[in-house]
Amino acid sequence: MAKEKKVRERVNWHRELRLAPGYIILSLWVLFTFVLLGWVVGASFSTSKEIFSGTVFQFESGIHLENYAKAWNTSNVSVFFMNSLVYASISCALLIVICAPAAYVLSRFTFWGNRLVQNGFVAAMGVPATMIVLPLFGLVAGWNILNVSLANRAVLIFLYVGINVPYTTIFLLTFFSNLSKSFEEAAAIDGCPPMKTFWKIMLPMAQPGIITVTIFNFINVWNEYFMSLIFANSDKVKSVAIGLYGMINSMRYTGDYAGMFAAVVIVFLPTFVLYVFLSEKIIAGVTGGGVKG
Amino acid sequence: MKKNKTMIVVFLAPAVIMFSIIFLYPIFRTVLMSFFKIEGVTDAVSKWQFSGLSNYIKLFNTELFRISMWNIFRIWLFGGILVMGLALLFAAILTSGIRFKNVFRAIIYMPNVVSAVALATMWLQYVFSPKFGLFKSLGKFLHWEWLEKFQWLDPAHLFIALLVAYCFGMVGYHMLIFASGIERIGADYYEAATLDGANRIQQFRYITLPLLKGVTKTNITMWSISSAGFFLWSQLFSMVVSNTQTITPVVYMYQNIFGAGNSMTERNAGIGAAVGVLLSVCVVVIFIVCDKIFKDDDIEF
Repeated sequence: MAKEKKVRERVNWHRELRLAPGYIILSLWVLFTFVLLGWVVGASFSTSKEIFSGTVFQFESGIHLENYAKAWNTSNVSVFFMNSLVYASISCALLIVICAPAAYVLSRFTFWGNRLVQNGFVAAMGVPATMIVLPLFGLVAGWNILNVSLANRAVLIFLYVGINVPYTTIFLLTFFSNLSKSFEEAAAIDGCPPMKTFWKIMLPMAQPGIITVTIFNFINVWNEYFMSLIFANSDKVKSVAIGLYGMINSMRYTGDYAGMFAAVVIVFLPTFVLYVFLSEKIIAGVTGGGVKG
Repeated sequence: MKKNKTMIVVFLAPAVIMFSIIFLYPIFRTVLMSFFKIEGVTDAVSKWQFSGLSNYIKLFNTELFRISMWNIFRIWLFGGILVMGLALLFAAILTSGIRFKNVFRAIIYMPNVVSAVALATMWLQYVFSPKFGLFKSLGKFLHWEWLEKFQWLDPAHLFIALLVAYCFGMVGYHMLIFASGIERIGADYYEAATLDGANRIQQFRYITLPLLKGVTKTNITMWSISSAGFFLWSQLFSMVVSNTQTITPVVYMYQNIFGAGNSMTERNAGIGAAVGVLLSVCVVVIFIVCDKIFKDDDIEF
């Protein structure tokens, strides 16, 4: 990643001065981002009255943790949160089980249809959801199972997995192609069958790629909106994104701004925390996999 | 070799089956559906009535749909210019050798990883708020009366508000793509140019830009794909005041098929399918045009 050598050089003020406009532009943008997030977090600890009077950061009436308790318990956020956690975790695991083997054979063997499958997957990444949603909905609605919450959850997970199959496969494919073939050759000489070689040697070696793509899949599933909106039938199975939308809608009548901002923070926090710890990996993944320059 | 064959089939089958169920089959069926009059989404094929191109003709005769296409075109064009301009500027600054590069980069990309519903809510309920909004306070602080008084959420300004909020989140992604493109250009080009007395702006104009054709193509394609699926922001922004300023084709389709549907003339899933096909055609056309324009990507570097 960081290829530049990290030598502590003395601050070259002349050089820094030349770069000043750049610093100013980026700093303003970053400052705006901080104010945006900071204020929302502040508001979530305050009261609706203080929000309207513009005294969010004075906390005159103390810090109101009960906004979070209220959002978590009475507004169903806990249900949405747990749903999303379950959907994202299961989808991520399934995606690796399905896509890693496929990516491996696509990267290692030449066979009829290899390029076709790869091109199909790349093209699928550009297909708008509107293009696939109607037949899928027709299919699922025809089975009449969306009233059963377990079946509804299964359908959602199936969709999350299916939508992310092309991206995950292509990402891991690039990763596998960069692994040296000599490992398999050595394993073959020692008499290890190819399938076993994959599970015992190649998959563990692909771990960095698997972690990166899993982070992306987690974020994608957590934030997925369109499909969830159409396929999640009841409050019991809704994901955070849809749940939050419903809450904001009802918020217009209750006027509980502080509670709403608390819900926003709860929804926003998991992927944000993930990002704070893993931003280097995520950024390297954006430009590394799937996207060809 | 025999062993490899079983392995290929076993390893590839689950992914290809998923791909066929989620992408191949629905794409073909959607294209087919767009030529039929279909009363309910779940109707069997035997109940479909072939209607040729009439779904498409009907769509273009519907004013609301024309408005939605015009809106998405405006978002694609103006938003695209704004986002690409800022992304290129930020990428150029990031790669100019500034300090804290990774911190800046991480923070600018951040909106891409958080829930868009949360982000849109922050903009709608906070930044644009006419009572306690960030832009209002900023206008007051800087004594810019126009900014303090500007009613972002008025029907007349809602589109600008939507564009600003959406673009804010998108800049980071395209910036990363540009920056990775710039970083791949060898440092010796710039050294040679510096020796020849070219200043930074000349270097940017005559070295960086021409060598960025490939990533520009990627960026425009990605931007077009995300524009074609534009839904969430539009839905959230139409919540404040329902008007035609922020409706997009996907929202139109959603309301037509899954919504209350009272604003529509008839229930016809074929029309929804036609919307999907039209959007896909737009993406493909943009992709082909980009491919033609940025064809000379053969410059070796």
